[in-house]
Amino acid sequence: MNERMFFAALNRRRFLQGTAALGAAGAFSTLGLSRALAQEPEKPGELIVRAWGGSWVESLKAGVSDSFTAKTGIAIRHDLTEDNEIQPKVWAAVAQGRVPPIHINWDTTTNATKSALRGVTEDLSDLPNLKNTTELAKPVGLDGYPIVNTYGYVYVLAYRPEAFPDGPPTSWKVLLEPRLKGRIALYNDGIGFHFPAQVAGGGKLKDIPGNMQPAWDFIAKVKEQQPLLGEDPDFTTWFQKGEIDAACTISTNAREAKKNGIDVAWTVPEEGAKFDTDGLWIPKGLPENELYWAKQYINHALTPEAQQVWLDGLGLPGVVPGLKPPADLVGDPSYPTTEEDFKKLIRISSKVQVENESDWFARFKAIMQG
Amino acid sequence: MRASRTAYPLTWRVMDALEAFAAAVWPARFDRAVPWLMLAPALLLVGLLVLGLIQIADTSLRTLDPSTFLMSEDYTLANYHRALTETLFATVATRSLIGSLIVTVVTLILAFPYAYVMVRTPSALLRKLLLIALFLPFFIGQVVRAYGWLIILGNQGMVNEALGLIGVEPVRLLYNYPAVLFGLVQYMLPFAVLMLAPALTAIPEELEAAAGSLGADWVRSFAYVVLPLARPGLIGAGLVVLTLSLTDFAMPAILGGGSQDFIANAIYDQFFRTSDQGLGATLALLLVAVGSLLVGLVFTLFGAGTLAMGRARR
Repeated sequence: MNERMFFAALNRRRFLQGTAALGAAGAFSTLGLSRALAQEPEKPGELIVRAWGGSWVESLKAGVSDSFTAKTGIAIRHDLTEDNEIQPKVWAAVAQGRVPPIHINWDTTTNATKSALRGVTEDLSDLPNLKNTTELAKPVGLDGYPIVNTYGYVYVLAYRPEAFPDGPPTSWKVLLEPRLKGRIALYNDGIGFHFPAQVAGGGKLKDIPGNMQPAWDFIAKVKEQQPLLGEDPDFTTWFQKGEIDAACTISTNAREAKKNGIDVAWTVPEEGAKFDTDGLWIPKGLPENELYWAKQYINHALTPEAQQVWLDGLGLPGVVPGLKPPADLVGDPSYPTTEEDFKKLIRISSKVQVENESDWFARFKAIMQG
Repeated sequence: MRASRTAYPLTWRVMDALEAFAAAVWPARFDRAVPWLMLAPALLLVGLLVLGLIQIADTSLRTLDPSTFLMSEDYTLANYHRALTETLFATVATRSLIGSLIVTVVTLILAFPYAYVMVRTPSALLRKLLLIALFLPFFIGQVVRAYGWLIILGNQGMVNEALGLIGVEPVRLLYNYPAVLFGLVQYMLPFAVLMLAPALTAIPEELEAAAGSLGADWVRSFAYVVLPLARPGLIGAGLVVLTLSLTDFAMPAILGGGSQDFIANAIYDQFFRTSDQGLGATLALLLVAVGSLLVGLVFTLFGAGTLAMGRARR
C-alpha cells in the first residue's frame, strides 16, 4: 500500500498520463483500468550504485543490493569510482542535460551536501520508510531530503595495543610522543582530525569555524611527528604492514584490519572524536522509471532488515531504531547508541563543514606539505 | 575482341575506375593542398588541445561560490592571485621543479651508459638481455610499479627483512622525498634509454676509433667525440624526462605518503576534493606555462637543431 501511494506521489506526470489513460480505458473495459493501476514503471535491466570498495561494498551488497535484487529482479552494479571523482562527472552530466553515469550515489554527507547545494540531487522526501527513521537520517541545514543519511561513524584513535603496553591512549596528545615519530597516520585532507585537534590544542568547539588557531597549532605539532597521510584502504594496509602504531581513522578500517588478524584496537579519547554520517542520493536527469526504482533502492536500504546486515558488516550505527550492534561492538564507543555515548562525540553541521572545507583543506595541506 | 580483353586485364580496369573516382573526388588542381591534407590530423589534434586550453583558461577566471558550488559568472584573477601567493602552492611547485630536475640529471646519468652498452656491445645475447630489461617495465603500469616498491621497501619489505638478518632495525625507506625521486628515476629510465639509443646508433664507431688512433684515451674520446654527437639524444631524453616528471601524479601520491605532493596532486585536490575547478584550472594552466617555458629555455640555450630537426634544409 505504501509503495503504491509512494508511486502515485512520486510521479506526477505519470499520474496525469495515467488519469487520462484511465478515462479512455474506462470507456472500453473496467478490467483494463484495474490492470493499468496495478502497473509499476518499467524495470531497468540494472541500477548502478556508486560505492567504496573492500569491506564497504561487500557489506552494501550483502545487506541491501542482493536483497533488493531478490525482491525486484533488478540487478545492481556497484561502481567503485571514488566519491570525489564521480562528483564532477555527475555535475557535468546534469549541467549538460545528459543521463548521469550512476543511479545512486553512496556518499559522505559533506560531499553530498555540496551536490545538494548545487541542485543536482532529487528530492527523497516521499520515501515511505523515512517515517521509521531517527533524526540522524535527516541532513542538517538543508530543505527536505536531497540526501538520506543512512548511518553514522566515528573517527576514532586506532592503535596497536603492542605499542601501548600501559593501556589504551586516553588523549589525542599521545600522537605527539617522540617514540611515535613516523608511526602515526591521518587522512590526507585532515578530515576527522580538525575538531578533536581544536580541543587537544586548547581551543573550544564553539569557536568553530571562527577561531580554529588551536587546531592548526596542534596539527603543526603533529606534522613534526611525520605522519603518513592516506585514505581509507591505506589505514588498513598500514596497520597490516606494521607501518604505523596509531591513526585517526573511521572505526570500520581499524575493525577490518582486526578482522584480518592484526592486533588493532580503538578508542574515543577524552577530547572527543568526530561523528559524521554517510548517505545515499540520486542525481537528477534519470529517466522516470529508473528514478522510481532508484528511490525504491534507497527506500529498501532504510528497512530494518537491510540496515541490520549492511551495518553489521560496517560495524556502524544505523538510522532505524531497534538495530542490534554486532557482538564485538556492544558498548564500544565507536558504536554510539545512547545519549551518553553521543556526549563523547563531536558533531558539526554539514553546512559549516561544506562552507569551510576549502579553507580547512588549504590550511591542513599548507601545514603538511611544508 | 577476346584477345583485347586479355591484353587489358580486369585488375587494370579496376585501377582505372579507382583513378577516375579519385580524380572526380580530388581533381588535379587540388594537388597543392595535399600537404595540408596530410597535416590535417595533426592540426585537428592541436586544435582540440587549444580548444581544451581555452576552456580551462575560461574556468580559471571564475571562482567557486561555496553556497551553491557553482562557478561565478564574472571573470576575476582571484585564482591566479591565490595560486601565486599561497605558500602551499609555492612549496609544491618548488618541490616539483627541483624534483624533476634531479630526476632528469640522475636518469640521464644512468641511461647513457645503459644505452651506450646496448648499442655498442658485440654480444647479441647481452643486447637482447638489455632490451628485455628495458621493455619489461613498459608492460607494467606506473601504479603497479609503485606498489611493487611498497612491497620491496616497506617496513616489512624485502630490503628491511634483509637488513634484519644482519641485526639492523627496520628503516623507513618509503613515504619521503627520496622515495618519490627514486620511483620517478626508475619509471623514467626506459624512456631516456629509448630516446638516447637512436642518437648513439647514429654516431659512427669509426669516429671513436679515429680519436683513439690519434692518441685520445677513453675519457677524451667520450668527452670530445661521443658526448657532443649524442647531444640531440640527451636533449630529447632530458626534455621527455623533465616534462613527464614535472607533471607526474602517481609516484608522489603512492610513494610520498601524502606529504610529498607535486603540482599534479595539487591540481587533483582542487578538482576532486574541494570541487574548486577554477583554482584547479589555474594551477593546470600555470603548470603548462612552466613546462612550456622550460622547453623554450632548452631550445633557446641549445637550439631546436639539437633534436636533429632541420637537417633536411642544410
